[in-house]
Amino acid sequence: MSKTIKSILFALVATLGLTSCTYNKLVEQEEIVAQKWADVETQYQRRADLIPNLVNTVKGYAAHESETLQAVIEARSKATQITIDPSNITPEQLAEFQAAQGEVSQALGRLLAVSENYPELKANEQFSELQAQLEGTENRIAESRRLFNEAVLQYNVSVRKFPNNIWAMIFGFEKKTPFAAEAGAEKAPEVQF
Amino acid sequence: MKRTLSILLTILVAVAVSAATYTVDNLPVPYLQDKTQYVSNPDNILSSETVDSLNLWLGQMETDHGVQTLLAVVESIEGGDTYDFCMALGRKYGVGSKEKSTGLIILLSTEDRAYTILTGRGLEGTLPDAICKRIENHQMLPALREGNWDEAMLNAVRAITKYVDGDPSLVGDADFEDEDDTAALWVFLLMLACGVGLIVFAVWLDQRKKSYCPSCHQYKMKKISGYVTKNRILGIRSHHDTYRCTNCDFTKEIHWDEDLHSGGTGAAAGGALGGSFFGRGGGSSSFGGSFGGGSFGGGGASGRF
Repeated sequence: MSKTIKSILFALVATLGLTSCTYNKLVEQEEIVAQKWADVETQYQRRADLIPNLVNTVKGYAAHESETLQAVIEARSKATQITIDPSNITPEQLAEFQAAQGEVSQALGRLLAVSENYPELKANEQFSELQAQLEGTENRIAESRRLFNEAVLQYNVSVRKFPNNIWAMIFGFEKKTPFAAEAGAEKAPEVQF
Repeated sequence: MKRTLSILLTILVAVAVSAATYTVDNLPVPYLQDKTQYVSNPDNILSSETVDSLNLWLGQMETDHGVQTLLAVVESIEGGDTYDFCMALGRKYGVGSKEKSTGLIILLSTEDRAYTILTGRGLEGTLPDAICKRIENHQMLPALREGNWDEAMLNAVRAITKYVDGDPSLVGDADFEDEDDTAALWVFLLMLACGVGLIVFAVWLDQRKKSYCPSCHQYKMKKISGYVTKNRILGIRSHHDTYRCTNCDFTKEIHWDEDLHSGGTGAAAGGALGGSFFGRGGGSSSFGGSFGGGSFGGGGASGRF
């Protein structure tokens, strides 16, 4: 009799131990995903911060491209309005975020394409450096998105593996959505000198 | 038929000659074999004088400011995108220290007519993208357009050095190495103290064992007489000691042998240990270097000419 109780107790303790281990690991990985998301947002914010400067510089040389300039400003303000709760990123939210940022990318691409028609603007030192900053920021965005997707992938694998999936279900850890690759919209605007 | 063959052969040879297309995995990194060699120049595009100067400056930059550089000049790279290639290099080698991430990768691919200066996460403040672009536009581009590769790389590194020198927050590894060495010294001293303590304790235990009186069970035995015989053939020295208990006057003889050839081992081991500890800081000229695991977030600037 006492032997049965003992083995039941042992099984209980062992299960609890395993659970806390799984739980801690999932929490840890979830935190990493949140941190990587913060990095992604930082880089997008960095791009948003560059835009007013860029627009002003272009305006000085190409005032009558106001339509293109306006499109950039609008896309930017739309994108910066979207806030996402990092602990609960739904696929819909992510899609919305990605679409809005994609619009900024496209508007910026058009702006840079238009600026090709203004030799004086192209020769402007400040414009060249802003362009470099923008390009660097696009690179940083791509890299931070890659790292975010990597973290999400690791987390998702943990959540779906047996027996973690049982505990994940009990404690409410859900699969997270990575960034989807976009057809060219997220690629850094190609600039030929 | 023969003609087509010869044409084919010519094309093949031409391809083989110009096939200096490097991938991230087959690009030679001399730094790993010799930590004074920062420049990878497998196609001999740069002159040896230029390579020497660059190595000297980049070495200075690492000791003074802890900025670790990988500079490569090649004919062409796989994919043709110098930024992607640099990022892949950074991921593979982790140029720069892990804590500070002050790594720097500079790549020029002459046939792709493209170049990149890639800054580690910890260098983005010292060398912002705009500054990298400025260095490229002013220091590199004019020389690159003339095909003067030496001049372009020398100018670029000279300019980068200026910015790195001007940033007081970048402290060299020299200070850290010193700290490391003192730490190693303390560890060594501590180990030495422990070793000496152990030996003293062993000697004390031995003495205590000898002073144990089997008659009255007290540690009161004292040595009263003894003589030593030597056996040179066996190489041992035999001790014949007589002990008497000061409590109950019980006497006993203790016989023990000593190996004539031992005795030097302790000192020799100590010497070897000390040597390995202090040898670390010494010769640094011909050993291979290692990259510290720095990460790159995509900072820097690229361009084409």
